[in-house]
Amino acid sequence: MENWDKLSKMPYKEIKEMQDRKLRAFIANQIYLYSPYYKERLKEENIDPFKIKGIDDLRHLPFTYKWDIAPTDEEPQKAKDFVIRPDEEVSEKYGHLAKMSMTGGKAMVEEKVFDFKPVHIHFTTGRTALPTPFVYSKRDLENIRESGARLLNVFEVTSDDIVVNCFPFAPHLAFWQTFFAGEKANVAGFHSGGGKIVGTKNLMDAFEYLRPTVAVFIPGYCYYFLREAVKQGRDFSSIKKIFFGGERVPPGLKEKIKELFAQLGAENVMVLATYGMTEAKVAWPECPSHDEYYGYHLYPDMEIFETIDPESGEPVGEGEEGEIVYTALDWRGTAVLRYRTGDIAKGGMFFEPCPNCGRTVPRISSNIQRKSELKEFNMTKVKGTLVNLNNFFPLMMSHPDIEEWQVEMRKRNDDPFDLDEIYLYLAVKEGTDKDKIVGDLKQKVLRDTEVSLTDIIFKSVPEVVSQLGMETELKEKRILDNRPTG
Amino acid sequence: MQAWSKISKMPAPAIRKMQNEQLTKMLSEDLAVRHPHYRELFKEKNINPADIKGVEDLDKLPFTEKKDIVAPEDNPEHPKKFVLDVPGEDELKPKKKGFSLFGKKDTGPDPSDYSFFTLYFTAGRTDKPVPIEYTHYDLNNLKEAGARAFDILDLSRDDTLINAFTYAPNVYFWQMFYSTIGIGSTALQTGGGKVLGMEKILKAMDSMEAPAMAIAPGYCRFALHTLEHFGFSAENLERIILGIDYTPMEAVDRISKLMEAVGAKENRVQRIYFISEAKSGWAECAPGFGYHTNPDHVLIEIVDPDSGEVKGEGEPGEVVITHLDAKGTTFLRYKTGDIATGGLATEPCPNCKRTVPRIMGDIERKSLYFDLKGKDGTVSFNANELRKVMFAREDVLLWYAEINSGDPEDTLKVVVKGVSGTDEQALQKDLQEKLHDQFSIPVAVELSSLDAVANTIGMEKFITEQTILDKRNS
Repeated sequence: MENWDKLSKMPYKEIKEMQDRKLRAFIANQIYLYSPYYKERLKEENIDPFKIKGIDDLRHLPFTYKWDIAPTDEEPQKAKDFVIRPDEEVSEKYGHLAKMSMTGGKAMVEEKVFDFKPVHIHFTTGRTALPTPFVYSKRDLENIRESGARLLNVFEVTSDDIVVNCFPFAPHLAFWQTFFAGEKANVAGFHSGGGKIVGTKNLMDAFEYLRPTVAVFIPGYCYYFLREAVKQGRDFSSIKKIFFGGERVPPGLKEKIKELFAQLGAENVMVLATYGMTEAKVAWPECPSHDEYYGYHLYPDMEIFETIDPESGEPVGEGEEGEIVYTALDWRGTAVLRYRTGDIAKGGMFFEPCPNCGRTVPRISSNIQRKSELKEFNMTKVKGTLVNLNNFFPLMMSHPDIEEWQVEMRKRNDDPFDLDEIYLYLAVKEGTDKDKIVGDLKQKVLRDTEVSLTDIIFKSVPEVVSQLGMETELKEKRILDNRPTG
Repeated sequence: MQAWSKISKMPAPAIRKMQNEQLTKMLSEDLAVRHPHYRELFKEKNINPADIKGVEDLDKLPFTEKKDIVAPEDNPEHPKKFVLDVPGEDELKPKKKGFSLFGKKDTGPDPSDYSFFTLYFTAGRTDKPVPIEYTHYDLNNLKEAGARAFDILDLSRDDTLINAFTYAPNVYFWQMFYSTIGIGSTALQTGGGKVLGMEKILKAMDSMEAPAMAIAPGYCRFALHTLEHFGFSAENLERIILGIDYTPMEAVDRISKLMEAVGAKENRVQRIYFISEAKSGWAECAPGFGYHTNPDHVLIEIVDPDSGEVKGEGEPGEVVITHLDAKGTTFLRYKTGDIATGGLATEPCPNCKRTVPRIMGDIERKSLYFDLKGKDGTVSFNANELRKVMFAREDVLLWYAEINSGDPEDTLKVVVKGVSGTDEQALQKDLQEKLHDQFSIPVAVELSSLDAVANTIGMEKFITEQTILDKRNS
């Protein structure tokens, strides 16, 4: 792990050389020796690990897909093969060495335990596959702590701040990344576990008790939380920054959040975004700005990002749209190579220094179309049309008159062979012209998703909030596919 | 903070001496000068902290109770009155020049020891949850308490552990987390049934081949009964650590037998007793040998719950805590509302030989002692006893009890769901008879569905199940 301050000023040429060096060592000394899956895969595909000299040779390695690692009923322990661990033969050797050495033996065993022994686990949240475990060794925990400290550094959060972590508690990256970030950067915090754990009212009480300067949220819950706080006349004037995880923050939502904070006494709150994935075991910060998008700053000593053409698998150029492919660098525990995230970086990757903050580390475009949370619906056939349901999010979240919303897909007469129907449940702001919004949305939904809504059903905010499971689910259920299967 | 290896072998008089020194220091350096509540109280009651020379003088100080710390609706910041002030610039002594032969020079209190770092809450079973502030200093003590608890439990880094304590920002979950991280054992921090649900927790236990699981007693019983239904194995399970909720010996016995019945490798059951206000939890080396406390962190008194009179060794009474080494939120003679049925033991533990004071017997909740309206006047009802009866039964899967007001007397309704394969009619009849014999109030036993009982008790909704429901005022 490199010094962040040094790394963020290093010219890209040196960064690349460092990545080449680290990749060579990682493949030869860890992956090839200790990763059961890749050891086997490289042999199978007749790939000489010592010929991987650097990033430019990455293309010789095969892609890893979600289905390669996700457990199945037939192979429930599949993910274990992606855990870097000395095999029994090697352990025996170390054990022997430890016993033999009168001076350094114990230290050597401790070092190996620190490096390899899993101590902490996160799971993926996807609904298309069984949750996949990603394990951390103690050494890896140092990485997640460091990445958290970097994230806070980019966001200019210091030990004078107080953070309230409102991510839902689960063995998932978001909550724990925030926790470990605070631990490493010595930033005080309250790790609430979110509304489901402590309840929305108690969480508001905690805000008023602690007077935090930074809040961390999932966008959907945040919007709900702030609206409730406004209704109750709460005072959140201490808040200076808020950062989101889990979903992209469309500009319209940013504005709505800022407006709500202003009503709660906090003017000009900086809305920040993070991008993270369980498979990478860390999250990255978007360069802070009120009105521009400079991309997410990456940690080039911990990973390599590629952007590729999703069809051909060929790398695309700097700044060109492509699928994000992730390769772990210098991790222990679970590590994946050339992992196809399915997320599309609309603006691609950048290697020149950030025009906003001047950091030289590679950046990935702020405009990422995330597959991970909604991939099962991502390109769903509705009414025979391939529908990109991701497009509902920016449209609905940014709309000034919409308080809450949910999309439900059904079959007419609940018959699996009948026509698809798509319903939009809406809770709108008081005084909204319902006829006008129906016309407006039908047109915009058609434009953005290429499907026409069967109906728009107006409901009260509490009704939609309850349908969403806002305070009972880990993540609200925005899109429901209730079509029976034939 | 002294080394655990030393403290756990220290004779009782030496422990008392250490506590006397810590108490006078805590009073003079922290509570009297930088604790908003006690500073005011001492002035108001004309108490001179210098008169408190040691533990023997503690009864000169008033108790603190839950009602003193809970925030009123119009003043959410009230609990801050129990948080030590951060030392100001003026308290820092300038560093003297030159070389000291006698160790570290006194430069005054270190502000970083007193600065807020994280916040946990009390469970809020009987009242509104109370925020308890931790500084870095306190977190280090919590980590130390966790390491000591694991030492007492005899857990090592080879023991993969499923932490199924319900997630909440509270000491229960976090002490367990810091213990596993500290010792370096493989652990899954599940967040309990409320977060992951029963099936995923059991699946993790099975697939990780975990020998140890930390879980609340009621949820544990339910989990072991449903193991077969989900098709998971407990063949690698060796021990269960019960905590969060009050765990009578009847629960330990029942769960131990259940472990045997489901084919666990071993059936070791241990207990941890957490007090949110004490900022840590204490473990038992083996069931019945008492919760081994940390005498350098917290001073324990056992008092008569009504008169406040300090009880003698081994006499039952209410657990009262005084912080001896804490920053952030701190308490002096805080009445926990917990009754230790076996009082306090200061002789070395006959099982593990550690010399630290032990809280003996079961912990009962004072809030579960009810005065009910009887035909001929007030009738006492100890619902803790009802919990024991229900834990002891092998045919009960889930249950709850409702106390209802009636005329001419209050009544008890017990609603039960039997374990799969039980003759529920026979269970109902037998339980009706047994409860009638044991409690001097009218009891009616009713059968209900799994979902109905689970919903009523808040299974996977609350931190622990709410089995005793006082409906008299509703």
